[in-house]
Amino acid sequence: MQNIKNSVRHYLSVYSGFLSTCFTQATSFRLNFVLLVAMDLFFYFSSFATVSFIFDHVETIGPWQRPELMFFIAYMLTLDQLHMTLISESFWVFSRELKTGGLDYVILKPINTVFNVFFRHIRPSTIINAVVTWSALGYYGHQAGLLWSDWILIPPLMVLSFTLLILLEFIVASSMFWLTEGLGINFLRMQMQQLGRWPDYIYAQTPRRLLTFVLPIVLVGSPPVHFLLDRSRWPYLLLMMAAIVGAAIVLSYVWKKGLRQYESASS
Amino acid sequence: MMSSIPKWWQTIRIAWSKHTAYRLNFVLQILGPTLVFFFVKYNLWSAVYSTSPETVIKGYTFQEMIQYHVWALVVGLIAQGHMVVNLSEEIRMGRISAYLIYPFNFWEFHTADFLAFQTMQTLIALITIFLIGLSAFLDVPSFQLILTGMTYCLFVSLFWFTLQYMTGLMGFWLEETWMLRVTLRMIAGFLSGAILPLELYPEKLVTFLDYTPFPYLTYYPIKIFTGQFNQFGQAYLVMGLWCLVFIVINKIIWRKGIKMYTAAGM
Repeated sequence: MQNIKNSVRHYLSVYSGFLSTCFTQATSFRLNFVLLVAMDLFFYFSSFATVSFIFDHVETIGPWQRPELMFFIAYMLTLDQLHMTLISESFWVFSRELKTGGLDYVILKPINTVFNVFFRHIRPSTIINAVVTWSALGYYGHQAGLLWSDWILIPPLMVLSFTLLILLEFIVASSMFWLTEGLGINFLRMQMQQLGRWPDYIYAQTPRRLLTFVLPIVLVGSPPVHFLLDRSRWPYLLLMMAAIVGAAIVLSYVWKKGLRQYESASS
Repeated sequence: MMSSIPKWWQTIRIAWSKHTAYRLNFVLQILGPTLVFFFVKYNLWSAVYSTSPETVIKGYTFQEMIQYHVWALVVGLIAQGHMVVNLSEEIRMGRISAYLIYPFNFWEFHTADFLAFQTMQTLIALITIFLIGLSAFLDVPSFQLILTGMTYCLFVSLFWFTLQYMTGLMGFWLEETWMLRVTLRMIAGFLSGAILPLELYPEKLVTFLDYTPFPYLTYYPIKIFTGQFNQFGQAYLVMGLWCLVFIVINKIIWRKGIKMYTAAGM
């Protein structure tokens, strides 16, 4: 128990070091800081507007009406904001370091390599956007008729969604070990995110099965939102948790194989 | 003029080799996003129309809506596929110094790269039309409409290139320019009708958009392919004028930028 406590304390202190460095870097380039915020804000606006424009002409999309789907979009954008802030930069750096051999210095450090590779680069500028995404989540959650107990459940459900999303992304990113140029994998990863930004029911039966059981990206957002809107959907949450466990096992296997495959480009 | 043709040709050939050196990367980076985007839209509209398949939304039946998005895919490939990724990096790392003494300047080099890319994209778009034409998604239009639509899309791609080039030139002042490129792509995607047909947008917004180049990037090219737009003169004039505007802006940015260029990173 003491060992676990020490380990958590150690990793938290390393992470605070990462945060501090990233804050210093981000504030050195102020225009970049502003542009990143503006880019994300436009993305949120266009996502909401797209769904809203469709609902100006139809009553329902699948089983959901405007409030439910707008709440789903808000949930996914809140998740996206977390992802943009905490993780996304690291994938681009990872593909660069694999190519240049910069990964040598990362894997030599006495710390878990997955943690060091994927949690090292943070985008502090996008933290500001949390105000927008959480406000939208609050607004559309209210419109969708969420109860006080639902609001308590949102943070832990968000943690589950975030965990599944990043595990799937880590697995996809691991394939870069086998490629000379890994940049395209980042585009593949972004397309995977796009597939997950829509509720499961928009997909036809076969793609939905594939996106649930083979590449379970629709399990990132659909189970929590279905559960929040209808408690009888709790088995769907169990499936999501099983996907998290499965993804963690696959990642551990693929990552080890990938590290063995890695031949330093600089050597 | 004639003496520079071999230089252009050789640069285009090098660009072809460069673009196809990492084929999987090319597929994932250039084709993947367009195909996934179409896949999502197909599924979304299937869900929208699933409750009543006979519904007509702002003049679009399900079949027509899917056709709109198939053409959006083709237009996206030809007109907005190009990305000037390395330009700002070359400025930031001081690598443009070489172009300042080469007999083939910076602008010419990137334009040749663009032309190489466009030939590949045009070929991919033709294959896409052929493949989708074999399915039930698309009523393949006449050869004349395809030719007219593709020619206009290639003209639009020139405008897109000038815009992309401008974001790259911002590398004289910015540490990173990718967010400008992404923002531009998002704005263009949203306002040009690449995500939804413009008929679904609020009327006031559509009226406003008519004063901008955005509808001419995706919406009107789609209408050309489907034979619902024939004011080609107007379309070419609008795009041509905007193209000129951005060429002038690019020249100004280049002049200002090169004055403060220090060749750092060499």
